[in-house]
Amino acid sequence: MLSYFARRVWQGFLVIVVIICLNFFLIHAAPGDPVNALIGTMAPTPEYMEQVRREYGLDEPLLWQFLRYAARMAQFDFGESLRFRQPVIDIILARLPATLLLMGTALVLSSTVGIVLAAAAAKFRDSWVDRVLTTTSIVGFAMPAFWLGQLMLIVFALNLNWLPAQGMYSLRAPSDGFGRVLDILRHLILPALTYSVYHLALIYRLTRVKMHEALAQDYIIAARARGVAEHRVVYVHALRNAILPVVTIIGLNFGFMLAGSVLVETVFAWPGLGRLFYEAISARDYPVLMGIFTLVSGMVVIANILTDMLYAVIDPRVVYG
Amino acid sequence: MYQALCRSGALAVALLLGTVTWGHAQEPQPGGTFIAALEGEPATLTAHLTTDAVAVSVASNIFSNLIGLDYDFNPVPELAKSWTVSEDGLTYTFNLEENAQWHDGQPVTAADVEYTFAEVLAKVHPRGSSWWPNVESAKALDTHTFEVKLKSPYAPFLTMIASTLSSGALILPKHIYEGADPRTNPANLKPVGSGPFKFEAWEAGNNIVLVKNENYWKPNLPYLDRIVFRFTPDEASRLIAFEAGDVDFLHSYIMPIDQAQRLRADDRFTVVNSGLEAVAPNDFLLFNLRNEALSKLEVRQALAHAIDRKEVAAKSTFSEGVPANSFVNSSLHWLFTEEGNYSFDPAQAEKMLDAAGYPRKQDGTRFELRLVWATGRPYEARAGEVVKDQLSRIGVTVVAQAMERTTFIEEVFTNWNFDMAVQGFTTGPDPTFNVTPRYHTAQIKKIPFVNAMGYSNPKLDELFDSEYKMLDRGERAESWKEVQRILMADLPALPLFELTQTSAFSAKFKDVITGPLGYIQNRERAFYIP
Repeated sequence: MLSYFARRVWQGFLVIVVIICLNFFLIHAAPGDPVNALIGTMAPTPEYMEQVRREYGLDEPLLWQFLRYAARMAQFDFGESLRFRQPVIDIILARLPATLLLMGTALVLSSTVGIVLAAAAAKFRDSWVDRVLTTTSIVGFAMPAFWLGQLMLIVFALNLNWLPAQGMYSLRAPSDGFGRVLDILRHLILPALTYSVYHLALIYRLTRVKMHEALAQDYIIAARARGVAEHRVVYVHALRNAILPVVTIIGLNFGFMLAGSVLVETVFAWPGLGRLFYEAISARDYPVLMGIFTLVSGMVVIANILTDMLYAVIDPRVVYG
Repeated sequence: MYQALCRSGALAVALLLGTVTWGHAQEPQPGGTFIAALEGEPATLTAHLTTDAVAVSVASNIFSNLIGLDYDFNPVPELAKSWTVSEDGLTYTFNLEENAQWHDGQPVTAADVEYTFAEVLAKVHPRGSSWWPNVESAKALDTHTFEVKLKSPYAPFLTMIASTLSSGALILPKHIYEGADPRTNPANLKPVGSGPFKFEAWEAGNNIVLVKNENYWKPNLPYLDRIVFRFTPDEASRLIAFEAGDVDFLHSYIMPIDQAQRLRADDRFTVVNSGLEAVAPNDFLLFNLRNEALSKLEVRQALAHAIDRKEVAAKSTFSEGVPANSFVNSSLHWLFTEEGNYSFDPAQAEKMLDAAGYPRKQDGTRFELRLVWATGRPYEARAGEVVKDQLSRIGVTVVAQAMERTTFIEEVFTNWNFDMAVQGFTTGPDPTFNVTPRYHTAQIKKIPFVNAMGYSNPKLDELFDSEYKMLDRGERAESWKEVQRILMADLPALPLFELTQTSAFSAKFKDVITGPLGYIQNRERAFYIP
């Protein structure tokens, strides 16, 4: 089992290396010049443009730029942001906690609520509970996050004035300690809900189908025949078997969620990686873009390895060798 | 009689009360937090490495300028309380404020000004190298006197150094910058200035917090306790945040003009049409004169007759902006002229195109042009759509293409790969900086925001090369009127509309905009009404 995971880690490492190489040439092939984004809104002098280009090594041949980048990456040096003139790793680490908080909340919320609701819907199959939940899930599945986010803002921030519209902290009345935690939680509600809806619907729909399949199996009939209580049949015997593919989807979703964070973070001005990514694209801040690509691919690889490990925990029949 | 007396008495009391409350409400009070929305996160908090308005709007609160500008574009005192200009227009002597100090307590001296000019403007500022070659010397004469000697007269010199957004610079502290590279100095991200507000915190991706400078050298200023700049990238949610009271200020460039009417009717908000006078931005339809059809003057003039700029202005700016009738914005009133303007006359346009050798073909069309614009400014997209529609009526097929901004800049200004482009150009605070570079033959270069049209007129070049040496403002104004007439006749571009200056702030604040650079000015006079 250990050698299996060692092999997986090694493969994951190779995947990341390939992604880095591909991305480097992809983003440099895209049109746009980082110097144009750096100089601001007024016409600079050509000498100044050249000076900036030289300073950042942007005047060198692309292959040479790549070799220099690869050499630095080999030492885990992500380079310096063109725009902020700060180490990329510092910039990314400053933004990572906000994204992890938002993603983590959404992931936990959508997974637990999705699974619980699906189990309930499966238990009361074809009842009104099932119909209402399933219809709602279609709506949730189909709604684009940025649109839903703006609807949430209009209802809860503008009309009802219950929750803040933007950012992660209150700026008018800053607080410390526990007050700050509460403040962040208040700011977290709308983006986390917006973020969760799609994934909740996805997990709900998948779990529901798998529950129906599981409930039709012989072992369920056997369990019922043994006189096992119905809620135990549904929530233990069936759910435990239905949940495996759901865990796979949650693991896979991790990568999609990072991509989705661009929209949610932009709508709610949430100071996370997604927005940094978006801004880095506009500014053609190559080192920051590369840093985020590397980090995200690393996280997706790790999430997938963790998913595989979780398999063995959930299903004793799964053995890696 | 009694009733009348009562009435007038009541009226007098009401008037008195009204005056008192009104007077009270207008009286500036210290206190309050002002939250300004910014469309992006600045890359630096100083103004010497970029002309990015987002960075400058923060920096202008932290740093002081040497001089400022009033609405007539005359210099007004800032760190320099007075100045003299020699008869020949070559020597400028500035007398500095004596009690100004840096946020760390050090005094502001002429040595700081000298450092900012000789080491920063001359060497690292994006636009410094465009005018520095004309400087003979820039030095501190004593602790509070600073002198600049020019090699040849340069009439807009004071306007230029007052103009923080383009070629001037906010004064930097020598004691912090000296001996290190001003491009990478850590103080660029943790600035120490001499302005009305001190830097407190920058939370990555979130906001920048400035607090009141209690030792500001202008007595009793500023009024506000704190200014917070919140980064709000999405236009729709920014508006919601503004209406929900989460932010207090939407400056002209991020104000959604389609919402101006509605916000104006709401007494929680103040909507003003001011703050970009010194920027003086016009939106243009640039013509690439390398295109075979567009290289012909009659064709460009025909297009000018075919485009109804009233409709363009009304539809693209929701009637907040006005049609542009010159290559210079009308806020530069001391030199503005509308002479040589084109009437909207599609019949005339058709006649001119026929004569120019572009008759309508079998299918009713004459020729095809590619029109590009950048995304992110909805009014430019709307203008492009209206132009496309209007030109189709005279048989000119327009293939429209919207591009992401960085790509657009590269396609238009470095690849010259366009036929027509919708593009805003600033024209102020002095046209020498922001009109000359767009149309001078020497500026046909592959760099952003200069003469991408490939336009050249030796007579115009001569005017450009002589006007800035004229020390008499009236004489300069005459030259600039001639420039505008020539440009209108030649049409290297078509002025479409003057950009709206509409901005909005919470009605709980007053005096938010007090000068011609209102959208990025410091908020030292802004005050809060509890």
